[in-house]
Amino acid sequence: MRTPGLGRQVVRAGLIGATAIIYCAMVGLIEQLDPRKIVGSQLSIAGVLFLGLPPIIAAYVATRPRQVRGEEVQPGIGEAALAGALVGLIVAAITMAAIGLANLLGIDTTRNIFKSVSPTLLGILYLHRSAVSGLAILSVVIVLLGAFGGVLRACSVGVRRPIVIGLSSVVGFGMLQRIIPTAMDQLGLPKAWLYSTTYLGLTWFGAVLTFAVAAGLTVLFMRKGSQMQRGIVWMTGGERQARTAEVIVLVVILLLLPFVAGTILSQILGSVGIYVLMGLGLNIVVGYAGLLDLGYVAFFAVGAYITGVLTGGLLITTLGLKAPAFHGGLSFFIALPIVILAAALVGVLIGAPVLRLRGDYLAIVTLGFGEIARALFTSDWLKDIFGGTQGLTKIPAAPIGSLDFRNPRTFYYLVLVFCILAAYIAWRLQESRVGRAWNAMREDEQVAEAVGVSSTRYKLLAFALGGAIGAVGGALFAVQIGSLNDASFTILVSITTLAIVILGGMGSIPGVVVGALVLIGVPGLLSEFQAYQLLVYGAVLMAVMILRPQGLIPNVRRTRELHEEERAQDKWAGDLVGDEDVVAEPSPLGEGSG
Amino acid sequence: MANMTGVQPAPAAAASLNRYARLPWRRIIQIALAIGITLFVVVGSFRTLQSNTYDASTWKDFVILGVAQGGIYALIALGYTLVYGVLRMINFAHGEVFMFGAFGSYFFATAYASSGFLNRNPVVALAIIFLVAMLVSCSVALLLERVAYRPLRNAPRLVPLITAIGASLFLQNTAFGLWGPQARAYPVPNILSGDQTWTILGITMQRIQVVVILTAIIAVACLSLFVSKTKAGRSIRAVAQDREIASLMGIDVDRTIMLTFALGGLLAGVAGVQFGMTFGQVHPYIGFVPGIAAFTASVLGGIGSIAGAALGGLILGLLESVGPPLLLTGFHIPSPFQLKPVITFSVLVLVLIFRPGGILGSDEPDKV
Repeated sequence: MRTPGLGRQVVRAGLIGATAIIYCAMVGLIEQLDPRKIVGSQLSIAGVLFLGLPPIIAAYVATRPRQVRGEEVQPGIGEAALAGALVGLIVAAITMAAIGLANLLGIDTTRNIFKSVSPTLLGILYLHRSAVSGLAILSVVIVLLGAFGGVLRACSVGVRRPIVIGLSSVVGFGMLQRIIPTAMDQLGLPKAWLYSTTYLGLTWFGAVLTFAVAAGLTVLFMRKGSQMQRGIVWMTGGERQARTAEVIVLVVILLLLPFVAGTILSQILGSVGIYVLMGLGLNIVVGYAGLLDLGYVAFFAVGAYITGVLTGGLLITTLGLKAPAFHGGLSFFIALPIVILAAALVGVLIGAPVLRLRGDYLAIVTLGFGEIARALFTSDWLKDIFGGTQGLTKIPAAPIGSLDFRNPRTFYYLVLVFCILAAYIAWRLQESRVGRAWNAMREDEQVAEAVGVSSTRYKLLAFALGGAIGAVGGALFAVQIGSLNDASFTILVSITTLAIVILGGMGSIPGVVVGALVLIGVPGLLSEFQAYQLLVYGAVLMAVMILRPQGLIPNVRRTRELHEEERAQDKWAGDLVGDEDVVAEPSPLGEGSG
Repeated sequence: MANMTGVQPAPAAAASLNRYARLPWRRIIQIALAIGITLFVVVGSFRTLQSNTYDASTWKDFVILGVAQGGIYALIALGYTLVYGVLRMINFAHGEVFMFGAFGSYFFATAYASSGFLNRNPVVALAIIFLVAMLVSCSVALLLERVAYRPLRNAPRLVPLITAIGASLFLQNTAFGLWGPQARAYPVPNILSGDQTWTILGITMQRIQVVVILTAIIAVACLSLFVSKTKAGRSIRAVAQDREIASLMGIDVDRTIMLTFALGGLLAGVAGVQFGMTFGQVHPYIGFVPGIAAFTASVLGGIGSIAGAALGGLILGLLESVGPPLLLTGFHIPSPFQLKPVITFSVLVLVLIFRPGGILGSDEPDKV
């Protein structure tokens, strides 16, 4: 090891990688996700994500360039490969030790405490062979993957990026196994060459082809990308027109999507759309105005329940269905403005008492309001209106003429219209005087007040607007599922929406869409993930905040704010310590999306 | 709350303020709110007492239950207060630290129960159970600090809070993955089981409640002694007052912060066992509601103050057990305990509106 400090990094990365694998095994992720194959019959999601990825990432991080006496030193390929292999060795050794320990204590004893440590899990870790040969192969693979991670880090960007994008595409295409084959069927294309009919994932041929195409395209784009961009601008006749053309293409794709995909996808997209709306609404409150609202479910509930009552939902009682105390027979589109007004009013009511509260207190108090809303809507006290814990049912499906919005495809279009509308409103707001006032208020409330921005007015406006958009999401939810009960309005709605906004990037409209697609779409596609959805949300919230607080698709201004203080700190620490490695390396994931 | 911002309107703006703007609206709304709430409380309790729905012994049970519940809240609230004191952040995941303590000790408790040790030697067994819970909670708290909070020590305020929410969700679902969603019966030694009572000062109480109240008192006493008398306690107070100056005075800030998390974890572990034995069950979701309630308690008592957290816990426990039947029955609201979260959070909001520093805290404007 010629690079100073590399040894310590290797040990650390090895320990962390091993912890990751053991953690995934113990919470049951490996066992639950093993049946879902990505490539052929061998590579499952569990194998790729929870056994293969940890050593690669650990080795990649361990061999990153380091500051030594003010100079950046990158370990060479040979050294990186060796270091990576060592990381893999440590990971493998500790994992094997853990498996040995579980066997030593007896699987039944261990299972009494940790329910996921089961013979099935061991079978998966033994690669469905005998214990000795399976574990030997697994160890060798882990060591090789570690070496691969080290080599990947030491390569130039020109080699690294195509490989990373190619491999990610294979995993991505493998995970889309419920969409792409269906779409190919709909279009009348043969699919057996790409997706295996027995294991559902990609065939080995398909995987290699996917990798080659993705990597090839990446190379092409890296060499000719700027030329291609210029070409598009030239064809459409200017930057502005090129942007418009992009938007038009995007909208056309969105409109055609349900025709290509099946019912399942349309249904998932409907749910994604509802959360896009919610995310856009919360983004106004959190992203624009900087008010962390953890009680956003209140608006969702207001939207859903008021829509339910106004359009004629029925109460479930022990004596059968019954009309609630207020029974409107309004059409959805007449009820909607009332819902929006009610939600805006609720927004002001929630906002008013908390105007003077600082960030973290505001969060807890709004969380309280969310719980209060749920407790009220589902209480026995208001049972005659909202149906208590049983809730409402038989909510009509928003008829216009003969259109039935409970059909997933039609519903998708309904949601799409509202999403586009909300995105447009959010975008215009961001660029407007109001948006600038929110910016000012978020950055420094007292200074904003001093230059004449009424924080009272703009905070209430943010709560009202955000609430109104969230309530539309709730109203659509009521239409989509047709019956409401207390299980749909827990704090998790607020947290899910927050995770979407955070993952996408606070203040970023495309970020909300990406966030919703990832956090709602992926669990929808891979039903095995659903039990671990919340675990993933928690991990996403933590990881984004620690590694990339600006989110996947950052809003420029927000990024600057989130890093300002940090950068000042780094500089200060750097001056003090001098030659230690204080300059933080951007996360390995940051590269592809930048 | 004119004292909150301290910013005077600029002269030009002041000149253009009309008569309405000069009225102290906030003051008026506050007073109206105060009158409304007082009326609600007085009328509600009067009508409830008049209707004689509950007899005296039921009220007494409510009070004792409230005190025991308050003891648990107080111990968790201390964790919030300690961490808030040194880091000025709400450790949202503290409820989960408490849950892990309860779960960790559960396995020892069941093992002892099935081997008979728990009933043969209840004092020793309970001591070990408490110790295990404290150790587990303490390690989770330390891990949380190291992994989730330390990298963000200088980040803008919302960033650690969001991380803490993520950590809470993550820990909760880790427990779900490790141990499954089902509730497990927490074993209680026979001498403490539900129908056994002690009579102290003429009041008959369930033994388990006596144990809960006593351990809470001992734990709070130990903590205050530790913080006020030892050198480490002094360094915690110093870091709470000013982190930078404390570090210039030769205090290892990182270690002090770790110590704070460790103390909070130890107390949460004690609370975990108390909770398990009082309610007789543990499952991965037991941390959330007590966590929020304990946070409310620490704000109620004055966040940053140890005595305040203890007092706030006690008051909140009482409010939650006595409040719903006392206030809501009078208005003929069915199943009043369903609306317990409404009471908890209303208390939190009202404290923040009327006395943001809490009962024992100072009204320093930075807090809210």
